[in-house]
This record gives sequence, structure tokens and C-alpha cells, in this order.
Amino acid sequence: MLWNQFKRTIRTPSMLMFYGITIIGVYFVSVIISTVLSFGPVVFLLGVLVEDVLDRGTVFTAMGVLTLSSIVGGYFGLGPAAVLTENDESIILGAPIKPYQLFMSRYVRRLVRKIVFIFAGLVAIFPIVSSANILFMPLFTLLITTIIFFEVNYFLGGIASYFKVKLQQRTNNPIRHLLVVLLVVLALLPTIPSVTSSSVESMLVPSNAFAYIVTEVTGILSWGYGPLVGLQFLALGFLISFLFLSALCDFDYYEVFATAAGREKVEGRFSKIVRGQVDFTETRFSDPMSWIMLKDFWSRMRSPLQIWKYVYVVFGTIFVVYLNLVRPANLAPMQIPPELSSTAIPAFLLIVLLMIQLSSVTSLLSFVDEQDNIYLLKASPFKPIDIILAKYMLSLMEVGLSSIPILGFIAYFFRVQGFGALLTLAAPLVLIFTASGIAIGAFVPVFTNDPRILPVPLAFSFPVVNLTLGAVLIALVAALAHELLILVALPFYVLAIVFLFLEAGVHAMNSFR
Amino acid sequence: MELSAIQKMTDDELVRLARVLKVPIASRTVKRSWLVEELSNTMEERKEKRADKPKKLPNPAVDIKGMSKRFGKTLAVDKLDLKVSPGEIVGLVGPNGAGKTTTLRVMTGIIKPNGGEVSVGGHDIQKSPIQAKDLIGYIPEKPTCYPSLTVREYLMFMGRIYDVPNEETLVRMSHYLDMFQLRVHLDDYIGTLSKGNLQRTLLVGIFVREPPFVLAFDEPIYGLDPRGAWSLKAHLHDLKKEGSAILVSTHILEVAERLCDRFVIMNDAKVVGRGTLKELLNESTRATNLEEVFLELTGGIPE
Ligand SMILES: Nc1ncnc2c1ncn2[C@@H]1O[C@H](COP(=O)(O)OP(=O)(O)OP(=O)(O)O)[C@@H](O)[C@H]1O
Ligand SMILES: [Mg+2]
Repeated sequence: MLWNQFKRTIRTPSMLMFYGITIIGVYFVSVIISTVLSFGPVVFLLGVLVEDVLDRGTVFTAMGVLTLSSIVGGYFGLGPAAVLTENDESIILGAPIKPYQLFMSRYVRRLVRKIVFIFAGLVAIFPIVSSANILFMPLFTLLITTIIFFEVNYFLGGIASYFKVKLQQRTNNPIRHLLVVLLVVLALLPTIPSVTSSSVESMLVPSNAFAYIVTEVTGILSWGYGPLVGLQFLALGFLISFLFLSALCDFDYYEVFATAAGREKVEGRFSKIVRGQVDFTETRFSDPMSWIMLKDFWSRMRSPLQIWKYVYVVFGTIFVVYLNLVRPANLAPMQIPPELSSTAIPAFLLIVLLMIQLSSVTSLLSFVDEQDNIYLLKASPFKPIDIILAKYMLSLMEVGLSSIPILGFIAYFFRVQGFGALLTLAAPLVLIFTASGIAIGAFVPVFTNDPRILPVPLAFSFPVVNLTLGAVLIALVAALAHELLILVALPFYVLAIVFLFLEAGVHAMNSFR
Repeated sequence: MELSAIQKMTDDELVRLARVLKVPIASRTVKRSWLVEELSNTMEERKEKRADKPKKLPNPAVDIKGMSKRFGKTLAVDKLDLKVSPGEIVGLVGPNGAGKTTTLRVMTGIIKPNGGEVSVGGHDIQKSPIQAKDLIGYIPEKPTCYPSLTVREYLMFMGRIYDVPNEETLVRMSHYLDMFQLRVHLDDYIGTLSKGNLQRTLLVGIFVREPPFVLAFDEPIYGLDPRGAWSLKAHLHDLKKEGSAILVSTHILEVAERLCDRFVIMNDAKVVGRGTLKELLNESTRATNLEEVFLELTGGIPE
């Protein structure tokens, strides 16, 4: 099936072009970035800082926490049922196929796809890597082991979910959730320093093996024995956990999938409390834009994750405000040596750029979230521009809100010269990124006739477009920093781009497949 | 069916079949009649070599006893008893939300019942699901399929999954593509098919296997055009004569009335009536057709 998707990509010129543009685009952007800044000093600085702040035990525990979080996530999640799709329900679930066969084939496909992406990505960011004086091999090793480690964690999460399912069949007693605690202890126990510092066998635990590899490859806190031992143990852990989880897959997961699929669009318990009731007859506004916004707002609110996002915004903001006002002594900001301050500013901007990019993914999804209803929306008597604007405004709010805590963190910990002025650049970035997200999202139904799935090239193009535009914006500001012209040029640039994207979105809505 | 099916295959398909069967085509042009004969002989030989006995379904082919299924607080099916014999088409009818789809999903082993027993072809769906599923052909309520496969790939894939020899798949595929007017879409991606053509693809995907089947069709007529519906009904009758056991859930009572031998009427998770049309009419005081029986049993005939 993977092969088929590939074939189809090859056969569709527009798709192929998109992939090409994307990869070349990333490559281009990274060439620019790496000529503008040199990452060498930054990386070196980071290394020194890390050795100052951390000790070996913390690294091992941190990796243990990663494993732990995926175990807990797996326990509350679907486990191997997550690889199933609605299409499987029509075809495979009723067929004489054993669950482990299904799981394994799905998994292998996923893995292959991941590896391909990683290679493409690696090629694209090669200029940055070489400018940072990072050797290719260690980086490659690190990437590969990181993936393997995360895959192992995924398996462990799956195994945790198996225990949950089995336990749930025996008892409904809430005490059964104590199992999570047991699993957590199991994950963390082997990471305590007295274990990790003593024996090689401790590397049987994947998180230890991974932490060992990380320290050896980066040279930070390393023992100097080389990463090979760790690699072997990690590979072993990968195989064992993969086979173990495959062996555990049974028909119960069909049930897990079927119940989850039925519940999919329905809210979690927590959001039920918050949601209240929306009565569209009582809205004071009488234009379609606000209806769409209300509808989107509430229907998103009812999706299980959304509420946590707002919780995060609220608590994150409070925490960040606290940090910046009180400046607690035990959480000191990073000290940037004066000789590095000139490289630190571009690095600061790059981090801001990346963080806003991350927050703006919601805008990309605002059309995908409509699923097939997008056709209903299009068939309704709304003007495309109303729909686009409604989506834009709402996403703007969401992206803006969720950027606040991150920006606050950056401002506090990564205090470069003139960070206050630099942070104001966040606002135009949010405006632009949200607009491009909306526009690209609106193109999804133009590309496919399954609007639930974001085509890979579109998803890929999103960060590329944004980073390019963001880099241009920053270059513009840097070039005109001391001239009055900036007061005209900046708003003009931002408004022009936002307008262009929204126009493109309208165009997309008018040319659905 | 073999020879006549091969005779009707297109040239392209004959070449494919020859490749699978390793029948050498020595010269650039061969006589069609020669090739057809050669191919059908080879297929006969292979068949004899495989020497698989014709399968036969036990009676009852589907046996559901006291099956219940709940989703949280909703009871979707309440202690259902249902038997389907080989050579019988049973209609599962009932208002929306009665529990028909749930029944079929339990029967096909997609979800587990909370209580009761389900066996298909004599195999318990819980204890030996693989053997049971080998017999089942399921058309879900909302037909979906892998959008990035072509119709041909999907059909070959189905053949693989159910262990049908490749040459059999090719021949049967060709036959049913004609029956369901799908041949023009053979190389289209499933994602681009219309709803009815998707439904037909799923149907052919079942029929490439060797009968007898235990069919669980959830509203199969819905979405098919009159010709497709007609082909399906005709073929179901043929399958029934060959000994398949067929359970069809439907709302379209005119179709049900002519298609099914027996009915099970569900309302609110429970069975409220069962039997042949005649028996149902006898039991009722006022009803004169299936529609009225249905209305009477599920909330009364509106005045
Ligand atoms: N996954 C699920 N989660 C929760 N409830 C469900 C689920 N699937 C079905 N139900 C409930 O079970 C009951 C029976 O549903 P089912 O789909 O079997 O009805 P049906 O007879 O097929 O109806 P229709 O004629 O509309 O197709 C309904 O009340 C439905 O809401
Ligand atoms: Mg149904």
C-alpha cells in the first residue's frame, strides 16, 4: 500500500512538483540560514552549559521519564488499536487475518515511511549541520537511535495498554488504575544512579541504553567507551519489545478500536463539564462569519485535547508572568557570554520563529477538522471569504494565545540584548503564519477528495513557506532597523502577505475537486 | 462456470492468466480458442492436484444464542437468538437504532458480545475466529475501502487474504466484473469511485472467493442503481441455491419481501417478530403486507 501511494505520487505531476519544491525549499532555506549565522559557537555554548547544569544521573532519569510518559500515554491510549482505520473495519477485521499480522504489517509500513522522511529531512538540513561543525556520523547515529528509542517507548506504551485492557475485563474497580503507578515505578526504578553507574546490564533497559548512547555520541558527560554497546542493547530492546507487543495483539484490540471509533467525535468527560450549551438562536451577531466561528469554537472545545490546550495557556501564562516578575533565584536564566551575543540574537529569532511555527499548526488543521463537512459548509449560502475570514480570526486567537507562554519562557531564559524589541516581531509572525496555515488548509480539498487527511506535501510546505516568509521578514527588519521606512514597510509586507494568503484561500474554496 | 467464464475474458486478462498458470505463449500471435482451451485444461489439472473437497456449511450456518451487546449504558442488542441455515436468505429488519448493525458486527467478530454465544459455520467466533471469518463475507453499513489501491489490486489482495489460488481469482474476478459492470473501473483508484461502484467493488471482493459463504450484508442494496441491485439479488438467489447462508439487514421492505425467505424483526434491541412472510401475516390481525407487519410490530400502524 505504501508502494501504491508512492506510485501515485510519482504519477501525479503536481504532487511530485510539490515534493520537489518542498525538499529544495528546505535545502535552500537551510543554506540561507547557515550562511547568515554560524551555529558552531552556539552548539559549543550549549554543550558547556549542559555540562554545567546537568549530571549523568539526571540524563538517565530524563530518558526514563520519556519512557514513563509513553507508558502512561499508552495505558490511557488505544495501544495497537491505534493502527487500525475505518477501512480496516470494513475489510480486514472481518477477514481471517490474525491481529498480530495486521499489527506487524502496519507497523513496518509506518517505519519505512518514517525512515524515508528522515533521510529527506537529513539531506535538506545538511548545510546547517555542516556549518555547525557537527560531524555527520554522530548526528546520524543520534537521529537513528532517537527514533529507535521512541519506537521502543511506543511498544512499551502498547504493552501497558494491553495490561489495561486485560485488567478492565476482570474488574471495573477504580483501584485497577494503580497499575499505572506500578508501571511508572517499573520504568523509573532502573534509572536511579546506583543502578546506571554500576553495570552494563542496566542497559537492558532501553532508556538507559539510549541515555548512554546520547552521552557517548555528544561527548557530554561521557565515559568514553563509545556508543556501540549501547546501540546493541537498544537494538535488542527494540526487537524484544516489538515481538512481545506483536505477540500480545489479540482480537480485544478490535473491540478497543470499535468503541473508540464510536466515541471518536464525542467529548471527554472533562470537556463535558466545561462546554455548557451553545444556542445558536441566541447569538447577538447576525452575520455568517460569527456563526462559523462559534460553531468552530464549540466543536473544537468538545474535542478531547482542546480543553487541555486552554488549560495550558492559562497556567502557562500565569507561570510565565510569575517568572518574569518574581525571577526566582533557583530558576536562573541562561547567562550568555558577551562575546557570543552577536550570534545569540539570530539564534533567539530562530527559536521564536520555530515556536510560533509550532503554535500555528492549529490554523493548518482548521479546515481538516471540518472533515467531510467542509462540503456542507461550501454548499451553504456563505461567501467563501466569510468562511476563510471566520477561520482566520478564530485561528488567530488560538495561535496568539498558545504562543504567549512559550514566548514568555524564551524571554525569560534566553535573555539576549534587546529581546523586548525582538519579541514584538512575534505579532507579525503570528499574523502571517496563521494566514498561510488557513490558505494551505483550504487547499486540502483541492488536492484530494478525502478532506480528512492532510496530504503530506501540503503539510510539508507549511513550515517551509513560513520559515521562508519569516526569514524574509527578519531580514527586512534587520536591513531597515535604523530607518523610518520600517514603519511603513513592515506593516505593508505583513498585510500584503496576509491578504495574498486569504485570497489564495478563497481561490482554493472556489476550486474544490 | 469455469470454461464459459474463461471464454468471456478479455485478451489482456487471458494473457495475465496464462502468465499465472505458466502456459507458454510461444509465438507473437496465438489463436484465442486455442489459448482458452489450453488455459481451462491447465486449470482443471491444477484443481485436481489441489484436490480440495467442496466445502459445505453445517446446519445452522449461523447460530446466535442469547447474544447481548451494550455500549456503555445503551443496550444495543438484548439476548438475541438467530439462526441462519445454508440455502436460506434471512432478512434482518427494524427501525433505525434497533441493533441490526451491531448484530452483524458481533457476528463477524469485529466487536465482542457482552454475553451469549455466536458461532459461524460451526466455529465459535470467539474461540476460533480465523476459521469462522474464513467463511464470512461482510458488507459494512458505511462501505469504505483503501483509497490508494486500484480496484484490480484490491481484488487480488482479497484473493490473497482468503487464500484463493491466483488463477481462480483472475477467472472469478473477470466473471463478476462483468456481472457488476465494473470492468471500466478496473484500474481506477478506489478513492475515486462513486459510492455505488465502491459497493460493487466490495461485493466482487467477496465473490472472488469460493462459495459457499456466510454473508452478512448491512443494507447492501442501498446505494446501488437498479441494475446493480438486480444483479445482486439475482446472484444472491444463485448463491442461496448453492448452499450459502445469507443474512441481510435492510430497510427497503419491498426488496426484502421478494428477496428473503424469512424475517427477523428487531425493535429497540429486541426481536419482536420472526418467521416467513406468511407466518407473520397469519399472526397479525390487520397487516396485509410486510410493511404493515413491520409498522405494527414496531410501534403501531399510523392511522
Ligand atoms: N460504537 C457505539 N458506541 C455507542 N453506542 C453505539 C455504538 N454503536 C451502536 N450504538 C448504539 O446501539 C444502538 C443500535 O445501533 P445499530 O447501529 O446496531 O442500529 P441499526 O439497527 O443498525 O440502525 P440503522 O437502521 O440506523 O442502521 C443505537 O442506539 C446506537 O446508538
Ligand atoms: Mg445499521
